[in-house]
Amino acid sequence: MLANVNVLLLDYALGSLKRQGGKSVFILIVLSLLIFLLASVLMIADAIKLELNTTLKTLPQITLQRFVAGKQTNVSLSRVDTILAFNGVERVMPRVWGYYYFKPAGVNFSIVGVDAYEEPYKKRLSELTRTFDLLTLEKEGGMIVGEGVKNVLQENYYSDFFNFITPKGERYPLKIAGVFHSDIALESNDLMLVPKQAAYAIFGMSPEEATDIVVHVNNPVEIPTIVQKITERYPDLRAITQDDLRISYQNIFDYKSGFFLSLFIVCVFAFFIVIYDKASALSSEERREIGILKALGWRMSDIVHVKFYESFVMAFSAFITGFCAALFFVYVLQAPLLRSVFIGYSELKPPFRLPFSVDVKMIVLLFFLSVPVYIAATLIPAWKAACLDADEVMR
Amino acid sequence: MSLTPEIIALLLLDAVFLFFGGIAFVLSARIAWRWRSHETTELQYALHRQSYLVSVIINYIFMLKIPLFAFFIYTCDKLSSIITGAMCASGVVNSVDFGLYLTLFKIVNLYVFGFWLLLNDADMNEEKLPFTRLKFVLFMLFFIPLFAEIGLEIGFFTSLNVSKIVSCCGTLFSAASTSSISLLFSVDEKIWMMIFYGCFALSVAAYGSRSPLASVVSNLLLALFALIALILFFSPYVYELPTHHCPFCLLQKEYFYVGYLLYALLFAGTFYAAAGGVLDLVQKRYTKRFYNLSLFFNTLYVIGISLYPLSYYLRNGVWL
Amino acid sequence: MIRLHHVYKRFAQGDEAIEALSDVSLEIAQGECVVLRGASGSGKSTLLSLIAGLAQPSSGEIRVLDREISKLPEHLSALFRRAHIGFIFQKFHLIPGLNVEENVIAPLIPANLPLHVLQEKARAKMEALCIASKAKRDVRRLSGGEQQRVAIARALINDPVLILADEPTANLDAKLSTELIEHLYMLKQSGVTLLIATHDPLFFDLAFVDRIIELKNGRIV
Repeated sequence: MLANVNVLLLDYALGSLKRQGGKSVFILIVLSLLIFLLASVLMIADAIKLELNTTLKTLPQITLQRFVAGKQTNVSLSRVDTILAFNGVERVMPRVWGYYYFKPAGVNFSIVGVDAYEEPYKKRLSELTRTFDLLTLEKEGGMIVGEGVKNVLQENYYSDFFNFITPKGERYPLKIAGVFHSDIALESNDLMLVPKQAAYAIFGMSPEEATDIVVHVNNPVEIPTIVQKITERYPDLRAITQDDLRISYQNIFDYKSGFFLSLFIVCVFAFFIVIYDKASALSSEERREIGILKALGWRMSDIVHVKFYESFVMAFSAFITGFCAALFFVYVLQAPLLRSVFIGYSELKPPFRLPFSVDVKMIVLLFFLSVPVYIAATLIPAWKAACLDADEVMR
Repeated sequence: MSLTPEIIALLLLDAVFLFFGGIAFVLSARIAWRWRSHETTELQYALHRQSYLVSVIINYIFMLKIPLFAFFIYTCDKLSSIITGAMCASGVVNSVDFGLYLTLFKIVNLYVFGFWLLLNDADMNEEKLPFTRLKFVLFMLFFIPLFAEIGLEIGFFTSLNVSKIVSCCGTLFSAASTSSISLLFSVDEKIWMMIFYGCFALSVAAYGSRSPLASVVSNLLLALFALIALILFFSPYVYELPTHHCPFCLLQKEYFYVGYLLYALLFAGTFYAAAGGVLDLVQKRYTKRFYNLSLFFNTLYVIGISLYPLSYYLRNGVWL
Repeated sequence: MIRLHHVYKRFAQGDEAIEALSDVSLEIAQGECVVLRGASGSGKSTLLSLIAGLAQPSSGEIRVLDREISKLPEHLSALFRRAHIGFIFQKFHLIPGLNVEENVIAPLIPANLPLHVLQEKARAKMEALCIASKAKRDVRRLSGGEQQRVAIARALINDPVLILADEPTANLDAKLSTELIEHLYMLKQSGVTLLIATHDPLFFDLAFVDRIIELKNGRIV
């Protein structure tokens, strides 16, 4: 059986790969490339998932959105107090936020209204706001923007202030009071923090309303119960919990890498045929060699063993090469080109480093996706080679 | 349907198996039909070569099936974090009606194809190739569970519903469960434990008696009751929780993946005696090597699993 | 040692069936040196292939060392060759790219023996043939005479009781042919059974050849 490794036979297989020279090198390169591509995609997906999971932890436990006719609309502020009265609810915060389309640059800014007297609903936001004095911001009509926003504005000659256009067509200028840099920049690069009343004016919203409501509870275990109570009281509110987000993100990324894999499988299929073809086409040298060996007392299974070792060594070294190349490409070079597929093409979505995340499971997965498939492609050619008639060398 | 990379990998390999299994099946049918061991025509020569191809293919499938089985369970374990309610692989496996059958087919196939390879080895060592027709008729039979397994696996992954709420192992492996497992709970777990040790004693006795038949029977019983005793008696000691009876959680990181080792030992031990014994029955002889291996692995398993209650008792002074 | 009993071998060539061997019966005793003589196409090589178990007869029976090699399945006949038969081919058929030692041990590589055992065996054979000093040299860089000795060492690595030589002098000059014949003579002295298929007249009046069997159109004349 294939289980007993014959070292001399393995050595013979290595020598035989060396003697095949160009053919081996060609296959090794193509196979390494394929594995490299696959490993990179999986690594990027995993790294982004990790990044998102860290981000998700900082998101509100429950977000309430009001839906009218299937579209999200603003929530009346009067509901805030009603919800606060539910048992187990710790804090309730109405949020004012939205997107502002900046035509000259063709990008969307995320605008978030902040209030000096309210504790921000996000930890990271509070870190951002702590360094700036929100009261003066309110008084002087200023805003704090992310670095990406600042750069876009500067390119359009807004270096110290920006004119928003309200829905009524009026100008609403805000000073650029500060710029923040964030290490985890995935969400804050396109951000503009503006005073709440400014946000109302820019969006043209009534001050009695909020975009959505964020709820904090004392005990995370109670989240489902509280969600149930709220949605019973206000059937038009939709509650999104942290867990929902986590699952949907995981699905999206599994789906995205799944999509890639499906494409990959097409490649694999094409490769399968190429390998089958390459492995079947034996040179007259190789045919003669097999004939000699059979006459000298090699069994078919010995020939198949050699071929098996050959393909295993080939697949395994390509696996190692591709994997290491992908490690370098993703974590050192930060995956140029490929990562944009996963993050989206929006220009402001931002420079951030992919956090390192490689575990045994990914290695095993990559192994199963590459090595057995390659060996499968060489099975039948190996058998065919072993079937060559030995008495040909007698003629 | 959720296409995680793991599922795609499993499906891809299923496709490969199906393709090669199909080739092997067609060749087997030809060989089973036309094989004449006493003739030396060109046809028989060609058939002999094709029979070798079949054995290469089955070797390939079997060699991959063992690690893939672990990978399958692992994938289910990973999916349990997406599927609401599932805490480990058992919830995921049971989220689809036939999930349990899929697992069973996987186990049965390991035994069956392992046996085929042993038979193949025995056949190839004989000048007259006495089992060639038998082994290809058998392969055609064994192809059915293989096919069933692949079909079920594809069905399993396509009908996995991420938003469906499933039960966790705590309810599946408890007296409250509606499944047949709950029936087992109506018997005192100490009795299962004793039956398990009884079966082991029986297999040791069979080893002493040098009877292949006794070894086959006792080891099949051992495999079955080892599993039951594991669920009912031993698992609470592993988890140190009197109500936790899951055979899948053993495979998780919290328990140092000990399940992979235990199951591998149990499989190796019972496989060598059961499959080797059947082979010996067919060949009417006694191959000591099989039973030595079997006894070795079985003993390791029994020692390993017994250490859990013992160490628990030594540390806490009580039984669970 | 070798017994052929009414052996036929037919090949299909297009629609025609060609009879390479017809009704060949012969017996060779242990330690005998037999020359198979005949023009090319007379069936000499086919006969050697059949005796080595590389091909199977269309009908008839072939026994070698009291094993019916014609009925052995392929993998067992290979093991049989590995254990008992040594081959010397026309043009030597060494494996290019391997060195001398590797070529010599090639027949035993699948036997799963420890390397040092094989190396000792190979050393003994190479020393006997005076090629031990070239052990690590690629066979393509050897002279014709050296290549010939490597081929003989390879044929002897498994200590065979039967050596089959297929046109061993076909591509050799007179000097090398004489040298080869000397080697064969030594083998004959050591008790090995020799079966040499050739049409080289050099072999026809050698003292140590016990018998000459002539094949013509697949029949013994």
